Amino acid sequence: MSKILVIAEHRRNDLRPVSLELIGAANGLKKSADDQVVVAVIGSQADAFVPALSVNGVDELVVVKGPSADFDPDVFEASVSALIAAHNPSVVLLPHSVDSLGYASSLASKAGYGFATDVYIVEYQGDELVATRGGYNQKVNVEVDFPGKSTVVLTIRPSVFKPLDGARSPAVSHMDAPSVQSRSQNKDYVEVGGGNDIDITTVDFIMSIGRGIGEETNVEQFRELADEAGATLCCSRPIADAGWLPKSRQVGQSGKVVGSCKLYVAMGISGSIQHMAGMKHVPTIIAVNTDPGASIFTIAKYGIVADIFDIEEELKAQLAA
Amino acid sequence: MMFGSADALVQLSIKSRDPYVAAAVHELATGITKLELEALICGTRRTALAIARWEHTPASVLTALAGVHDEAIELRLDKNPGTSSSVLSGLYEEARSKDKAGLTKLIAQHLNSGTEVLRRIALHANDSECLLALSKNPAANAKVLAELSERASGSDIAVAIHKNIAQNASASAELLTRIFDASEVYTQAAILGHANCPAWLIAKAAASEEVLMMRVLARNRRVSKESLQRYAACEDAGVRAGVAANALTPVALFRHLIKDKCELVRREVASRIDLSEEHIEALSRDDDIWVRQRIARSPTTSLDVLYRLAVDAVADVRRAVARNSMSTVHLLNMLAEDTSAWVRSGVAYQVNASQRILMKLADDKDVDVLSGVANNPNTPQSILKALVGSSDTDVRRGVILNKSATRNTLLPLLEDPYYLHRVLLVHNPHLQAQDKWSLRDDPDFQVRFSVYRWAANICLKMPDTFLVTK
Repeated sequence: MSKILVIAEHRRNDLRPVSLELIGAANGLKKSADDQVVVAVIGSQADAFVPALSVNGVDELVVVKGPSADFDPDVFEASVSALIAAHNPSVVLLPHSVDSLGYASSLASKAGYGFATDVYIVEYQGDELVATRGGYNQKVNVEVDFPGKSTVVLTIRPSVFKPLDGARSPAVSHMDAPSVQSRSQNKDYVEVGGGNDIDITTVDFIMSIGRGIGEETNVEQFRELADEAGATLCCSRPIADAGWLPKSRQVGQSGKVVGSCKLYVAMGISGSIQHMAGMKHVPTIIAVNTDPGASIFTIAKYGIVADIFDIEEELKAQLAA
Repeated sequence: MMFGSADALVQLSIKSRDPYVAAAVHELATGITKLELEALICGTRRTALAIARWEHTPASVLTALAGVHDEAIELRLDKNPGTSSSVLSGLYEEARSKDKAGLTKLIAQHLNSGTEVLRRIALHANDSECLLALSKNPAANAKVLAELSERASGSDIAVAIHKNIAQNASASAELLTRIFDASEVYTQAAILGHANCPAWLIAKAAASEEVLMMRVLARNRRVSKESLQRYAACEDAGVRAGVAANALTPVALFRHLIKDKCELVRREVASRIDLSEEHIEALSRDDDIWVRQRIARSPTTSLDVLYRLAVDAVADVRRAVARNSMSTVHLLNMLAEDTSAWVRSGVAYQVNASQRILMKLADDKDVDVLSGVANNPNTPQSILKALVGSSDTDVRRGVILNKSATRNTLLPLLEDPYYLHRVLLVHNPHLQAQDKWSLRDDPDFQVRFSVYRWAANICLKMPDTFLVTK
């Protein structure tokens, strides 16, 4: 029997959805029915997350009582280290998040565990654990194996693995976080990049506008269209730089990679290398541009050589009909 | 180090052994030095392929690369928007002799392709993809399109070709008329929306009950007022929205349209700049937020209404007031205190925002607000200098994009870690030649290319006066 340890993540008293995705990923790694998924949640208010984590696929839930309700990299590193010592898991799954970046590499390096970050495929090929992550700016899939490592720490890309349906009552145990000298102090909570705005890395349908939009006053009609079509309106860099849409809606090298997007409608975007870096992985890209030579067409599944305003008008009429 | 001529710049480029630098100055070189630069550009096949594909590669380099006679390079040249007409002409000959339909298609859709090449494709290409690509190309003139239409008539692709021609800006009135009757309704609608569509055809089609045609005609300024009146009562919301958007729609019709059951129609009405105070007042109280937003953005909306919309429950409406060019400093000052960062950001980007407002917003924590302050030409240099030290890339880029940022403010950004910022600085008019030249050995090839391209352009414009000192 082997164990897979999942570290749940919470922020401001909310369990982050990626925690449940990790449980889904961990269950996919079970090699036999005897294998166990152990989920740990760390923090002074960690008990509060027990109901939300009592879901299918969890065999044991460990509540680690920490000194603070907020994330502290030193406390988390020491706690996860203690959890590994207690459960001897073959795989430790953490969210690929700003929290994990604060301690995962240190944890793996100090103990000599196998380690890979931003993993979006993880599976056993025979007896060998293989993790797949992007390389060369997401241009290639890199398969990483871990010869000779009895414990492997992986940070998992959010919005890739599906949570399991249904509730369950797992065994719940408690432990105290090891006492450590913390080197950081939580002073204030600041939401980065338009805190009240939608997180475009988690949405699956995006309509994006570029220079072809022409003027700021034209942005509104595309916001309306996106609204009516059920899409999230995003943009290329010049639009955000001009303040026409929030920076949090910017796709590309200077903005965000839309990791969960399944359908991307590019309106008046020529397709600079920098923009495509944020969306070229999307399975279905529809590009609308008057220039048939626009680079965006090289990655689009469907290309429409047309004026974006004609398409916008027609789509609105169709949606209203 | 100092140089004062195009030759000196070319020699420096050769000495750098950098293919991108060589590409930047290629246009300046002649004779043996040009060959040396080309040897650098084609130093490895991989480099040559990358430069052939790169959108910033100068046309002279693309021309030189056409002489390499490598199919993979030719494919990239066919796709590159900078490839010249003469190079495309040569590539067409090669594609035709080798029967390469894929390359011919790229030439058929290229905006720089010459009329003669396009005409030959229209007359001789047998591949339907090539002909379809040609039918969409606005570089194809009316005569080429007419020949293409004639050749395609009766074939399997005639419908698709005519549909494309109907949307091609080069199509003549005569050709559009010829294909109208034989086309299906989508193509007919496109023809009616074409700038070259003859007036008599529009008048004839105005009697049609076909929704697709009515949607196009309702927006057309050449349609009669009687037809607009009829369209205003149409069941289809798209048609009524077209009437609402038409600049020729009689004011009398607005009375009904501002109360239209479909918000799509009311939004179009709210976008107009010829509304009466009474109409604006009514629309400013509409339930639909997009209607109120458009009124909040309109330059004809009175200050009284703007003040009311500035406290609307929806942040996007308040933001529209902040972006309204008629908003006063007092109104902006009020919106600068808004709870929504997106509204405050709208103020920060406002050209009417006073220095005082911008100084207040400079203490904000939100990236969109700070980017707006960084972008705003009214922001004092002392604030811009402080924002140069921001840890946020977007905020620093805002300073670089600020038209009022002085040299002293910008100088620290020459060492910005983001390569794009350094590229932008090469094009900044406030920096001096020596500032830009200091980036010539930048670790990023795009920055080095930009510096040498900037220098080469000066040499081309003022060959005797260019001087850069270390």
